[in-house]
Amino acid sequence: MAAPPPALPQLDLELRNIRKRYGGYTAVDGVSLQVPKGQFVCLLGPSGCGKTTTLRCVAGLEEPDAGDILIGGREVTRDPPWERDIAMMFQDFALFPHMSVAKQVGFGLEMQKKPRAEIARRVGEVLTAFEIDHLAERRPAQLSGGQKQRVALARAMITEPRILLLDEPIGALDYSLRETVMLELKSLQRRSGISFIWVTHDQNEAFSLGDLVVVMNHARIEQQGKPEEVLSRPRTAFVAGFIQGNNILRGKAAGAEAGLLRVDAPDGLFSVPLRGRPAPPRGSEVSFSVRAERLLESPGPEIGNRLSLRCNVVEYFGAYRRHVLEAKSGALVKYDQFGALPQSVSPGHLVSFGWKTEDGVLHA
Amino acid sequence: MSSIRPRSAAAYWLAIPAGLWMLAAVVLPTLLILWVSLWGGQSVSPHNPITFDNYTRFLSNANYRWLILETLGQTAMIMGITGVLGYCIAYFLTVKVTSPAWRTALFLAFVIPFWTSTLIRAIAFVPFLGVNGLLNQALLALGLIERPIQAFLYSRLGVSMAQVSLYTLLASGPVVYMLNSIPPALREAAMTLKATPFTVFRRIILPLTLPGIVIGQVLVFLNVLADFITVTTVGGNKLAFLGNLILLFYEGSQIRATAVVSVLLMAVMLAGVAVALRIVDIRKVGG
Repeated sequence: MAAPPPALPQLDLELRNIRKRYGGYTAVDGVSLQVPKGQFVCLLGPSGCGKTTTLRCVAGLEEPDAGDILIGGREVTRDPPWERDIAMMFQDFALFPHMSVAKQVGFGLEMQKKPRAEIARRVGEVLTAFEIDHLAERRPAQLSGGQKQRVALARAMITEPRILLLDEPIGALDYSLRETVMLELKSLQRRSGISFIWVTHDQNEAFSLGDLVVVMNHARIEQQGKPEEVLSRPRTAFVAGFIQGNNILRGKAAGAEAGLLRVDAPDGLFSVPLRGRPAPPRGSEVSFSVRAERLLESPGPEIGNRLSLRCNVVEYFGAYRRHVLEAKSGALVKYDQFGALPQSVSPGHLVSFGWKTEDGVLHA
Repeated sequence: MSSIRPRSAAAYWLAIPAGLWMLAAVVLPTLLILWVSLWGGQSVSPHNPITFDNYTRFLSNANYRWLILETLGQTAMIMGITGVLGYCIAYFLTVKVTSPAWRTALFLAFVIPFWTSTLIRAIAFVPFLGVNGLLNQALLALGLIERPIQAFLYSRLGVSMAQVSLYTLLASGPVVYMLNSIPPALREAAMTLKATPFTVFRRIILPLTLPGIVIGQVLVFLNVLADFITVTTVGGNKLAFLGNLILLFYEGSQIRATAVVSVLLMAVMLAGVAVALRIVDIRKVGG
């Protein structure tokens, strides 16, 4: 057996081919990930996709069946949680109901056997920094959701871990609070230089917070990259469908020419850029996506990809207007209009649409 | 859900039937016993003057004072053993057994014996502990002893073994309930904050299950103090605690002495419950 590649010291976290099964159910199936120092990583996916299990493997709360976990270059795969350089924030905050806020926040330092005076001083500092010093003597039952969230965060951050693991950390908060909390957490991550691994099913959280977004489905990573990369170039039909505002079109490969794949779809013949990828064999099933805001209404003759669509519904979302359109084959297509443009397409209209060839994204 | 506010007229009306029943079945008989215990004079009669003579006579007897201490000692010992044993069983059932099917099976095996009456279970210990009993037969068969051990039955050892088996569930049940109400994430949160399993137990699990321990101990305390059945059947006539003394005086038609011991026993029980309430706020349990 070949020796494993040496650990890269500049990585906060490295996962090598992690697998975890429960009975006959595969929760994590070969997940590999590299997190450079001080990164904000978002694990995004539907419930049951394996994102939480992956996080729990990093925490040491689950032991993977195969694969290696390295934290700060040190192999920790079989180490218990209390020997890892991590802290974790739980979905429902998991505050200790019998401890005051001050006692709770100092718990991690107490476990590190720090002197009493130092614990008191640092708890004071952290409570002030998180603006919860007035709650020091309260019990968790006497706190609001937002206050609990701050206490949980303070309790985790005071230990100055290398990595903070966050399992749906704002899912339990009121909707109105979330945006503020997200901004605070992002700036906290930047200032502290601690890597955050944030598990969420909410794409808005993932794309607005993450330096790196990891989209998971069925126990595997579907795509990982910078938010703008994942948004503009969804690698698979799953990612394209999971991200709001993508139209997915399916057809058969019908030959490639000059870096473009011809796709024979029920509603027309379309050209999709291959972007350096080998062309799929002729006749194989392929899919590609076009973002809803990239559709062009009544396109000029220079636009090659075109189809006629009947408008079913028009919905208003404040910043944009969404049209749900239907093609001849019955396929539904979304068309988003941003800005204060006057409405030009109404329900019942049959309109010609198209898109620039470079706006098509071929899926693997 | 609740549409009846506390302290509303409807709440008081609803409490009346149970209140009347408690008055007739508990409060009045208790006051009656208290009254009888204070009857003075040579002959038994309600017309005699009220006096503490019965108490002073009872407590001036060194044998009876020793019996009170022995009863309390026996109760404390059974509380200690069932407390530790009950906690271990509760912890094992709720934390260590992870398969739901096994947990249900073990829990039923633990609980079903308690569906029979205390008297039957106490009597069942006679053929178990006797000279030719199951326990002796088993030990003989295993070659661990050469002749049957007499001391199992009609002895303090036998009574204690029976009481431990009878009352462990009472010590364990409330702890099972409290352990089940602790979210697993608390244990995990403590571990990610660098607490080792023993520290997690000492700092998180034990304090959060304390109300269950105290309630279980109160139940065992009250039951062992009141237990005369096990002591009679398994202890034979070699052993007596305060409960047996009540029966003894009653059968001897000494109703004033019967009342005195009853009142003393009740006072001890009330004191114990009062101490428990100072440790935990029972109203908060399950809230």
